[in-house]
Amino acid sequence: MGVIIALTLKEAMRRRAFLGTLIILVTLYGLSFLPRAFKEAFGGDERQFELGVNIAVLFGIDAIKFFSAVLAILLCSGAITAEIERGYLAAILPRPLYRWELYLGKWLGVMLFSAANATLWTAMLWVSVALQGEPRVEMWRALPYVLLYPILYGTLALALSSFLGASIASMFTVALGAFAYFSDHFLRPIAAYFDVRLLQQIIWLSEWVMPMATLKRLVQIQVDAILPPGFGERPRFGRPDVLEFLNPSVQPFDMVYVGVYLLAALTVGLLIFWRRDVQ
Amino acid sequence: MWAIETRNLRKVYRPLIGGNPITAVDSLTLQVPAGTVFGFLGPNGAGKTTTIQILIGNVYPTAGQAFVLGHRAGALAAKRKLGFLPEKFQFHDFLTAEEFLRMHGRLAKMDGASLQRRIDEVLELVGLAERRKSKIREFSKGMQQRIGLAQAILHDPDLVILDEPTSALDPLGRRRVREVVQYLKERGKTVFLNSHLLSEVERSCDQVAIINKGRVIVQGVLDDLLVNRSVVRVELKRIEPRVLEAVARVAQKVHPIDERCFTAEVASEDDIPELARAILEAGGDLLGLQAHRETLEDLFIQTVEGEGK
Repeated sequence: MGVIIALTLKEAMRRRAFLGTLIILVTLYGLSFLPRAFKEAFGGDERQFELGVNIAVLFGIDAIKFFSAVLAILLCSGAITAEIERGYLAAILPRPLYRWELYLGKWLGVMLFSAANATLWTAMLWVSVALQGEPRVEMWRALPYVLLYPILYGTLALALSSFLGASIASMFTVALGAFAYFSDHFLRPIAAYFDVRLLQQIIWLSEWVMPMATLKRLVQIQVDAILPPGFGERPRFGRPDVLEFLNPSVQPFDMVYVGVYLLAALTVGLLIFWRRDVQ
Repeated sequence: MWAIETRNLRKVYRPLIGGNPITAVDSLTLQVPAGTVFGFLGPNGAGKTTTIQILIGNVYPTAGQAFVLGHRAGALAAKRKLGFLPEKFQFHDFLTAEEFLRMHGRLAKMDGASLQRRIDEVLELVGLAERRKSKIREFSKGMQQRIGLAQAILHDPDLVILDEPTSALDPLGRRRVREVVQYLKERGKTVFLNSHLLSEVERSCDQVAIINKGRVIVQGVLDDLLVNRSVVRVELKRIEPRVLEAVARVAQKVHPIDERCFTAEVASEDDIPELARAILEAGGDLLGLQAHRETLEDLFIQTVEGEGK
């Protein structure tokens, strides 16, 4: 399996993914200096500067979540069917290795690459903010949960790639993510305030399709301390059940659910790849 | 012992939505003796590639059984002793020839000094020793096919399956493949060769099987299949009935071409002088007589066309 992991990492490098890593690294570095640039250009006190840094950090974390997920989708969606169609696996599959070794080797390769990227980007953001005298340790606390984004999207894309071509697999992964994101961010407030049962059911379904809202809560709880005033706070008025629906609290079984979801996606993809004809 | 054995192998592709099922392989029964160079022939769409894909474990049969070196096809134990050069391939072209072979060696559970020694040997054998540090993307199509051949034989397998190994090669490249096949044969390895270049198969193979519509039509030792028939083209000043009668007594079949020419099929080359004597004794004015030993191509065309009728 080690050979497949190494090959997947080399493949990622070949696809200029490393160039993407560098571009995002530089962008994050530049982003973190925006509050200082604004302060120097337009003035402002230390409290405003600190608020600016906090917003840059939160935006940086969102950017890391987004780009690491995109990278994982790009690398995983073309890992199985597309490689079969191109003929890359024609000489590898007859080698004495189980198909699960190939599948997990590819998964681990992409996950290692994504994790290394996300860690590098977080480190860059942390260093650049610390250089300005505003270290934010919350970033490191959030990192393990941020890593779940590329793992989640990559696992799903790989499972879909076991029977779909690269473009369709990535399209489906993005569509599922978009459905979950849209349900959580846009439908949830409408469903909460107007008590629309159908929308509530759609939101409930979206959580099963993809645990995006769960991940969001897991990251959010780590960065609560640096949230600007008014962000992420529960509304003060309303029925308790509506408030809970609008902004659910983190439950002990949230991580278990995410883990089971990942395991299920991995297993389904593996079973399809194991049983399919490769020609 | 059979290097490859299939029993009533069948593969049906069923489309997910609509369309009729396609039977690619239909009750295919085949035995390939160990230590032979075996030609696997058939027209396009006959089921050759599907059969090979079943043998290497990439495709699951719908029914029947396939065994490779005594193990179920696709089993790890079979794969350990199997080398394969695919027809359609795309190698990881960002690797150098040496890196590529090292990767395949590790996948074949080789390591250390024995792997390096073997890499040197196979690169020499396929004529790419000078290009060991070149990236595969810099290789011509023919060189890529040769590095593919090198990876197929790298781990010293007992059975090598070559799917169209000479399709992209020039005559020099083809000769090198023949030499590699000969090298494997001398070492007692079994080579299972699928090729459309029948002259190559005829030169290299001990046994052949011709399949059509997913079934084996002819299988046997090549010399046995070809030796019994020789075709002679005869040209006379004029074909007369008494000459044809005399020829018919010697030949197995006579096919008139025009008023001056006919072909006669005799049992063996030994009958050709007798055929000439019969024509002369019958008073035929013999202008020309050209013996034509039946080739694999003749056998292939007759077999496949005969199957179609």
